[in-house]
Amino acid sequence: MSEPRPLVEHFFRHEFGRIVAVLTRSLGVRRLELVEDVVQAALAQALETWSRRGVPEDPAGWLYRTARNLAIDALRRERIHVQVLSRLADEAEREGPQLQTHFADEIGDEPLRLLFVCCHEAVPVESRVAIALRTLCGFSTAEIARALLTTEANVQKRIERARNRLCDLDVDFDTPAAPQLSSRLETVLVVVYLLFSQGCYVTHGDKPIRRDLCDEGRRLGRMLAAHPVGDIPAVHALLALMCFHMARLNARVALDGAIVLLEEQDRSTWNWSDVREGMDWLARSASGDGLTRYHVEAGIAWEHCRATSFAQTDWRRIAELYDTLERIAPSPLHSLNRAVAEAYLHGPQSGLERLAAVPPENVPANYPGWYTVIGELHFRLGQNAAAKRAWQEALELTTAQADQDFLCRRIALCQSDNGRPADESPR
Amino acid sequence: MAKFLFIYRESTEPQAQPSPEEMQALQAAWYAWMQKFASAIVPGGDGLKPAGRVVKAGVVSDGPYIEAKEVIVSFTIVQANDYDEAVAIARECPPGHTIEIREYAGYA
Repeated sequence: MSEPRPLVEHFFRHEFGRIVAVLTRSLGVRRLELVEDVVQAALAQALETWSRRGVPEDPAGWLYRTARNLAIDALRRERIHVQVLSRLADEAEREGPQLQTHFADEIGDEPLRLLFVCCHEAVPVESRVAIALRTLCGFSTAEIARALLTTEANVQKRIERARNRLCDLDVDFDTPAAPQLSSRLETVLVVVYLLFSQGCYVTHGDKPIRRDLCDEGRRLGRMLAAHPVGDIPAVHALLALMCFHMARLNARVALDGAIVLLEEQDRSTWNWSDVREGMDWLARSASGDGLTRYHVEAGIAWEHCRATSFAQTDWRRIAELYDTLERIAPSPLHSLNRAVAEAYLHGPQSGLERLAAVPPENVPANYPGWYTVIGELHFRLGQNAAAKRAWQEALELTTAQADQDFLCRRIALCQSDNGRPADESPR
Repeated sequence: MAKFLFIYRESTEPQAQPSPEEMQALQAAWYAWMQKFASAIVPGGDGLKPAGRVVKAGVVSDGPYIEAKEVIVSFTIVQANDYDEAVAIARECPPGHTIEIREYAGYA
């Protein structure tokens, strides 16, 4: 045991996904729940032991061995699956450097493999993303619920359904054949993109950005593009999109952790090597005849990167791209962004009118961003009371510390505006 | 300097499972606490397995205690001048436990 030292950030979550992936390979995907449980338990043991004794020399190996031993214990108690048991036990006996290399080699593509298993046709569509976030990233049901704009109970149900289907089928965990990979690619992209956007726009907790989720998303994207099945324009476009967003992450958060609006961002802090990588992917994505939402979103992100100042932003082009996006991939969030572009193009009133035209049933429940934008547009029109009301609504919905701080500062602006208390405005 | 035993108790009720992220944050908090009070903390603390044995008047039963609302999960030995100092150290300990602080009687 070496000098106690802290773990690299997000170590637990990264290892969770990797060990689940590796163990699922030995135990079979029908044991997914058991695998998740033992990995969770191994992390809990690490928490207890490492907190008091320091982090061991090879933390990843420690976690893997602990999780595997817990799995062996669990299987022994069941006294079935003798074959699996003896395979694992053999492995345990071969303990040592051999295992380390074996494990390290497998890390590379194992999470990608698991991702494709989670996106199996037999798994209900709405369950795929939930089970992928759970097994690959160890997200709690609460975290998944926030990512998918749904309830915890719902997430729980989706995960159970996914596990049951995988169990029924006893899906082979070996790499599926190429045609299967292609048919699953679409959902795989959704998962990768969701993971990435979770990192960009954190919806809870005390950090406005979780760069490691972004990194993980892009890493999976690059691995996909490097695979013959994933080397297609849609994947290239998604990569371009991710790079353009990552380029601008630094500027989005001030030193004190506060959110900085695009208007006020220091463009000199953008990461130009990310922009360049994005441009390469964008160029590669421009082949074939398919236009995906990723192409359009990459185009929008590129427009932002391309503008040398906020004033230079080509809002007309961005509005057009959002129109396309609304057509090929309707989503209330696209309508929201289209309204923002509209506001910059023709003034806040036109933006508000666009939002007002969205049928109430299409307004996402529990999505604070919707009300944040409405507040902003009212504020720009000098309608402080309405702005304050919208921002307060947003504040009630948000659980992310940085967002709460941001909204509180905006609400305070309404109250102190030229000594005109917002409450005097007619309701 | 006196020695104090910190006894950590946790609820026996099933707790919601923390996510890996949350566990790691907790691990970092413990690490920071151990670092901060490294000179006060005596090596040899440990966690305790959940089940145990109770010997009472020669009768051995499974423990800890069926009716218990909290069980001892771990302990730390801390050196401090007095209770105030020991309490100050305990107050900065990561949350999640009840901590009982007992001064060594000094028999040994």
